[in-house]
Amino acid sequence: MTSIARSLLPLLFAASLPGVAGAADYAVQPASSKLGFSSNFQGQSFDGSFGKWTATITYDPAKLNTSKFDVEVDLASVKTGDNDRDSALPGSDFFNVAKFPKAHFVTTGFHQNGNQVVADGNLTLRGVTKPVSLNVTFKPQGNGATLDVSGTVKRLDFGVGGGEYADTSVIGPDVKVNAHLTLTAK
Amino acid sequence: MNLRSTERQWGAVAKFFHWLMALVILGNGIFGLCMDLASSPMQKIGWFALHKSIGLTVLALFLLRLMWRLADRRPRDEPGPRWQHLAAHAVHGVLYVLILAMPLSGWWFNSLRGFPLQYFKQFNLPAIAEKNEELARTVLALHEYLFYILLLVLVAHVGAALKHHIFDNDNVLRRMLPFGKLRGTPSQGDS
Repeated sequence: MTSIARSLLPLLFAASLPGVAGAADYAVQPASSKLGFSSNFQGQSFDGSFGKWTATITYDPAKLNTSKFDVEVDLASVKTGDNDRDSALPGSDFFNVAKFPKAHFVTTGFHQNGNQVVADGNLTLRGVTKPVSLNVTFKPQGNGATLDVSGTVKRLDFGVGGGEYADTSVIGPDVKVNAHLTLTAK
Repeated sequence: MNLRSTERQWGAVAKFFHWLMALVILGNGIFGLCMDLASSPMQKIGWFALHKSIGLTVLALFLLRLMWRLADRRPRDEPGPRWQHLAAHAVHGVLYVLILAMPLSGWWFNSLRGFPLQYFKQFNLPAIAEKNEELARTVLALHEYLFYILLLVLVAHVGAALKHHIFDNDNVLRRMLPFGKLRGTPSQGDS
């Protein structure tokens, strides 16, 4: 009991910090925010986006160690502008939403790469959790900010389009993620 | 065998285009009608990509053939009634139009449907129409009917050639055969 209390104490202390000295909490404005991606099919790129997702954003460029992104994506809400593709993606060969309805990205830390802030985190997709790093561009605006995030996810790392769909000469191996969020301070 | 056509016989280049395109167009047409037999979506994607690449090859061959034909001379018509000459030329004209319309209607459908157009996984060609799935269905039907019409016209073309070869025993087919020797001339510089 005392040992638990001892190990919890720093956590409780840390949890009380963000309100005082931590990074700011933001609310996402869904109407002007977009979680998009682009990939490649038969040599032609296509764009897609997710209609339903939630993001908890705690961020301050000066306090990266207390900043955090936590994003949950409803994979069935994918749209790519092609009916065949949109009906195939939620299926068992790709996202398999029947078994894994959501993707989850949560940061484990941030680091600076020159002028570029990079969010390091874990992406859980289709039952597989792997580290993914995303470039972060944060621009304060009034009492809010815009947040642009981009990076590359290797679809086969997560078994998205495995089996015969693993042929990367037909379906490109890389999925470029690009998110634009409009944030207001909480 | 002469590369260029002569007064009485088609040259090697004209024969090459004729027979290669006959083979490729028939093969790709029959293949196209069988593509629904693919056992998986990915196999179907692969088959369609192949069908499209072969179709684009036909289009390229057609353009080359047309240029060659404009530069080459034509053998004069074999002796025969005037209506047969007119009918033969009309059938040739319709075949040329259909050979061009087949790949173009396929490209049109592909564009309307919003599919990529990649040539043997090497490079992509642009869409020639805005996406329109409604119209795509109609154009797909057109693409298929054009092939059936092509087959019908081919019956006339091949039937007439065989009629001349077998019943009239003349040079109409011989002058287009890959290693054909003309009758009534010891050697017209061929083979």
